[in-house]
Amino acid sequence: MRGPTGQISRLGTLKSLLQRFAFLSLIGVTFALMLIGKADTVLVERARSAVTDAVTPILRVMSEPASMIAQTINNVRELASIREQNAELREANGRLLQWQSLAQRLEAENKSLRSLLALVPEPGAQFVTARVVGDVGGAFAQSVLITAGQSSGVKKGQVVMTGEGLVGRVTQAGNASSRVLLISDINSRIPVLVGEAGNRAILAGDNGARPKLLYLNQSAAAPGDKVVTSGDAEAFPPGIPIGQVAEVEDGNVAVELFVARDKLQYVRVADYGLAGFLLDPPAAQQP
Amino acid sequence: MMQPTLLQSFDLSARKALPAALTLMLMLFALTPTNVPGLSPVMPMFALMSVYFWAIYRPDLMGYGAAFSFGLLEDLLTATPIGSSALVFLLTQWVVLRQQKFFNAKPFVVTWFAFIFVAAGAAFIRWVAVGLVADSGFTPIAPMFASYLITVAVYPLVGWLLAKAQVKLMGQV
Repeated sequence: MRGPTGQISRLGTLKSLLQRFAFLSLIGVTFALMLIGKADTVLVERARSAVTDAVTPILRVMSEPASMIAQTINNVRELASIREQNAELREANGRLLQWQSLAQRLEAENKSLRSLLALVPEPGAQFVTARVVGDVGGAFAQSVLITAGQSSGVKKGQVVMTGEGLVGRVTQAGNASSRVLLISDINSRIPVLVGEAGNRAILAGDNGARPKLLYLNQSAAAPGDKVVTSGDAEAFPPGIPIGQVAEVEDGNVAVELFVARDKLQYVRVADYGLAGFLLDPPAAQQP
Repeated sequence: MMQPTLLQSFDLSARKALPAALTLMLMLFALTPTNVPGLSPVMPMFALMSVYFWAIYRPDLMGYGAAFSFGLLEDLLTATPIGSSALVFLLTQWVVLRQQKFFNAKPFVVTWFAFIFVAAGAAFIRWVAVGLVADSGFTPIAPMFASYLITVAVYPLVGWLLAKAQVKLMGQV
């Protein structure tokens, strides 16, 4: 841009020089940040917590219409098939009543056997219920933001689930918000048991809808086999349902999850008092 | 010339903050759970669209500092390596400013066409930056590519909304 007088033109040159300087130095800062982010995870995590805490109230309001629309669509869909659903539910109810009586009998039996063995009971879990208000990560990661944080007892490493099964675990707990790493995330590795035989394997997320089972003898899995947490490595309590084997193909065992990422609305954060491997080693934090 | 009253100057600064406010809103909109199956991994890059739009039409209100800050915010929110979005937004801003003459008074279709290339570069650089820095290494490129295609497809709608907002709310500012 050339001004009418020399002074303005010089001012313009100065301005564009300043702009170039700003651009180059900010580019430098982004590279520095990428390195810092790799080295000092504690500092970055604190910054992330502060930002999510600040933004969660806004997201809470913004997610309201979306969840309302989803609910309305669901309602309409359910209305359409209410008759068949009723019949199905009646049948399921009958079946479940049988299971209930069986469960009661087994529970009583279990109790008496436990008392015979003098077994120390496992500690019960404490639950916090939270709403999912942010679906973050896009193409790179699979995590969600929830509306409960340290102020309601949520801590890093805790287990997150719904009534259907495992969702993931808390990777970052702010004051009133937390980030949950979903089991489908590429960084997620979970020790699991497969099928009735309880074969051990690792469920590895790949950012897709169907995580894979690693270290599993292929013949040890068939489509339909249930996958549950194994409780190894103290990250998860044993027996939380995760999904079922969807297909077994050339060394790949894909698992269909019980909890889909797009169905998440409310989740439970459970405190089992597990140490877990996600907790920072206390000595490694300070240089 | 009359000195503007307090209310007037407040009104003026509110109007000038509009590009930033809209960018922030678009960024948060992208994070809102939609409950649409399969949408979240391929969510369009709304914030990128906004940065690009304002770099063309109001570069005075969306400078390098602002682009950097929005990138930083997005990185902190989405748990991607900190600095990767900031880098992409800065480069987007830079490319547009370098080509100011090209963009000057061009019809919207031309800016959309240019966005096809700018967004491709932005998506690719972001993918590489995240892949190099993140512990998980390179993520599958397919979702990123799908997200890019949707971003380009949605840009006219977002651009139209932003243009409406600019005309209606910013007027002659």
